[in-house]
Amino acid sequence: MTVTISGEGLTCQRLHSIAHGTAVVLCADAHARMQANVDSMPDGPSILEEKRHWLVGGFAAEMSPDELCRTFILGHCAGVGPRLPDPLVRATMAARANVLATATTGCRPVAAEVLLEMLNANVVPVVPSQGSVGAAGDLAPLAHIARVAGGYAARPAGSTTYRPSSKEALAVINGISMTAALGAVAAVRVRRVLDAAIAAAAMTMEAVGAGADCIDDRVVRARRHPGGIEVATRLRAWLKGSDQVRYDRGANAFSIRATPAVMGTLVDELSATETVLERELNGAGDNPLLMDGEWLEGGNFHGAPVAQALDSLKTALAQLATVSERRTFRLTYGQLSKGLPSFLVRGTGLNSGFMLTQYTAASLASECKGLAHPASVDTIPTVQHHEDHVSMGPIAARMLLEMVECVADIVGIELLLAAQALDLRMRGIAFDADGHPVDAAPVRLAPSVDELHRRVRAEIPYWEDDEVLHPCLASAGRLVRTARILGKDLDW
Amino acid sequence: MRSPLSIDGLSLTLADVVDVARNNRPVELEGDARRRMQRSYDWVQRAATNDQPIYGVNTGFGSLARVRIDPEHSSRLSLNLLRSHAAGVGPVLPVPETRAMMVLRANALAKGVSGCRPLIVDTLLAMLNKGVIPMVPLQGSCGSSGDLAPLAHLGLAIADGDHGRVRVDGVELSAAEGMMQAGIGRITLEAKDGLAITNGAQLTTAIGALALHDAISLVEAAELAAAMSIEALRGASRAFTESVHRLRPYKGAIATAANLRCLMAGSALIDSMPEKLQDAYSLRCTPQVVGACRDAIRYAVDQVAVELNAATDNPLIILEEDGENKAFSAGMFHGEPVGIPLDVLKIAISEVANLSERRLYRLTTGSLSQRLPPGLASKDRPQMGMMVPQTTAAALVSENKALGWPASMDSIPTCEDQEDHVAMSTTAARRAASVVSNARLVIAIEMLGAVRALQFRLKDEPGVRLGRGTQVGVQRAAGILSNLGPNRTPSEEIEALAGWIEAGGHRDAVSGLEPIA
Repeated sequence: MTVTISGEGLTCQRLHSIAHGTAVVLCADAHARMQANVDSMPDGPSILEEKRHWLVGGFAAEMSPDELCRTFILGHCAGVGPRLPDPLVRATMAARANVLATATTGCRPVAAEVLLEMLNANVVPVVPSQGSVGAAGDLAPLAHIARVAGGYAARPAGSTTYRPSSKEALAVINGISMTAALGAVAAVRVRRVLDAAIAAAAMTMEAVGAGADCIDDRVVRARRHPGGIEVATRLRAWLKGSDQVRYDRGANAFSIRATPAVMGTLVDELSATETVLERELNGAGDNPLLMDGEWLEGGNFHGAPVAQALDSLKTALAQLATVSERRTFRLTYGQLSKGLPSFLVRGTGLNSGFMLTQYTAASLASECKGLAHPASVDTIPTVQHHEDHVSMGPIAARMLLEMVECVADIVGIELLLAAQALDLRMRGIAFDADGHPVDAAPVRLAPSVDELHRRVRAEIPYWEDDEVLHPCLASAGRLVRTARILGKDLDW
Repeated sequence: MRSPLSIDGLSLTLADVVDVARNNRPVELEGDARRRMQRSYDWVQRAATNDQPIYGVNTGFGSLARVRIDPEHSSRLSLNLLRSHAAGVGPVLPVPETRAMMVLRANALAKGVSGCRPLIVDTLLAMLNKGVIPMVPLQGSCGSSGDLAPLAHLGLAIADGDHGRVRVDGVELSAAEGMMQAGIGRITLEAKDGLAITNGAQLTTAIGALALHDAISLVEAAELAAAMSIEALRGASRAFTESVHRLRPYKGAIATAANLRCLMAGSALIDSMPEKLQDAYSLRCTPQVVGACRDAIRYAVDQVAVELNAATDNPLIILEEDGENKAFSAGMFHGEPVGIPLDVLKIAISEVANLSERRLYRLTTGSLSQRLPPGLASKDRPQMGMMVPQTTAAALVSENKALGWPASMDSIPTCEDQEDHVAMSTTAARRAASVVSNARLVIAIEMLGAVRALQFRLKDEPGVRLGRGTQVGVQRAAGILSNLGPNRTPSEEIEALAGWIEAGGHRDAVSGLEPIA
């Protein structure tokens, strides 16, 4: 498979697949449009000389154009902190190439082709993850990429010889492609976690014998939120043929009954965020733009639209974290779980069962609250009063990525506990409110829930007596991240 | 071989913890502590077979304390606790933090009130001394009742059985293999051993102690960087006069003002613009802001100092108390006393960095810098203009604001509502460590700017005298930078200076400064 880079049609999903190694090629039309765009460039002084003299003081005029580009790019290599993982650097490179392919930036086709060549040869620059304020673009991280692309750091033998023009030196760093790329990869991961979370919620509903009213199509449609309607629809699909989820069960606690409302909010927020991200990925995120033979000075490098979207997505994702954790709490709580034993094991006392599993979910959910702090509410004046309002979008993106790791593990924990609860139901193991064993008929699972249960059991055994918990948690997290819980096996 | 540190549950210091964690100082168990542990252990062994219920000895854990456990199962009870509590997720804790957690747990047990054998501590110390370090996942602890999951992962390395992972010289092994290679026996657990290993906020304190040590050093670096910037910006010294600060006598502000005077003593740049009555806040208010941070950090130091030598177990065995039942169930494991100070530490260090970033902004802004070249760019080394590093500093201080969200303010009920308020102190500690390393980079960037700015002043006015301390600071920092070669990027310069600060290079540059603690 190859993704064609054309300045349009780049989706979060496609960028995610490039991050994980899919090959790329520049579309012939885009190539032609880029060439035509460069050919329309008006005569005049070098853009870099004119715009960026502050970087090198008044000395720009004394430098050769090549020297100026080199100085400009190396001077922007001011990233710090831990190295950005390779897939995220790849996604950033592809995102930047796609911006150049919009043919509005005054760049020759080769500027994009060099990035694509690096991707196809898996030449991945070392990019420090910290140091961008997300306006005027992700300058520092992109400069670490441009340093390699422009030949100012070693590239493998046989690479295309390329020196950026003065506008290319600017264009390759002057936009929020790292923020957008990290956001796009994160969005794919959030969707993965959300899909698993809906499956986990269905398993929990089956395990506690939830009331069916809350996922009734009439109820959710009457409130009109599309996310709520979708979550209820998908829960009904998982629970089709269930003997346990019925209309005569009465009202459940909010963590179950309000699942369409809470998780539906994430569905809606995620769709909105993907829309923003995909606009940005295919947008002219550069400055100045070369349009109709004129240079136009705008603010297209400012990360505000994406920063806002990612901060909003974090808030909605935090709600998934906290609602799944509360279902985990109920599943482990003898008096709340409708006859399941405390901590979902027999022989409690000598066994602690899944007691600590819920602590882990609680700890992770609490982390999410902190990570949800909106990065975009902050701004700090930079660059001599010139860049006096910035987006902090890259911080939002990195915190979102950290948060989705927490939530993947929380949802994994719900899968693990719900599977255990279903085992107990299928075996007819039940307890009264005082913790004494009582007779109960073995339960037959709804066919789709049964399938989910079997996928968990293919990797994690039923818990009889206390064992080492950690491998179960690691496997559960993998079921979510790889989508193996849904019968797939995908890159994270 | 360095002299071993002797631990007794009473006298461990922050410096000791750092020494064991980062410099591999050997550790041994002090004799009296060994005897106290043995007496406490003997009592538990007797009590375990009695009718009297003792939490976690002959009962289940958490809300399962309602269930009595037959004494003949006490070993399995301890092992099951470690196995089922090994609930960590996420990346592996780095070796120094793991070592700190181990020595802290050993020291808590050395108090001799946990009812566990000296053998447990001997085993932990043998692992430290031979470099067998358990693999502990970083995430998943609520800090109450202690850092249960991380400590359970530690316990699995010690307890005999097919479980646990360790690192030896960077190689990952099964605990059985690693301990065998090092010639350390693993333990068959007895009554209460599982609890004694897991009950306490030692991961919180381990990460927090190392972060605190780094924060103390960082404040000194920040004062040096401030002095350098104030000189470079031709600041006025009257704001730092001792009698001024005696009139609002905060300890921290008095100390910072004294340090600035000491560092800038003799500088010909200070007070070189008599027409300027007062400086901007980021210069003039350095004692007020950094001083307030010193006071906050001192609070954190005091709290952590208590925790380093605290009994954090539950129940505690207090043989001196009257009555037959010497086991006292309480809440000593709760991470709150450490979590709150570490959240405070985040605020303090964030402010140290915020002030630094604003001074850097002045240094790099032509209209604010008393005629330094705009962006600190020069013909000699044009790629070393400081505009972009200032942006990097802005990103770092902004990130600190997000990390500053107080983790200990949150709580989520756990364990069937028995453990219905938890500390979240472990998250506070981890975030504090991140804030400190971000702030260190910011101070490094200010220092980079100040060195360049002072070099401009020296070029403009050859032979102009710098302050007693700043002169040495500039020399040392410039030395670090000149090792990097001519094609260096700002990124490499910042990381080099940050590494120098992290190693405490600035601390031996200048003597006679006021310490924090």
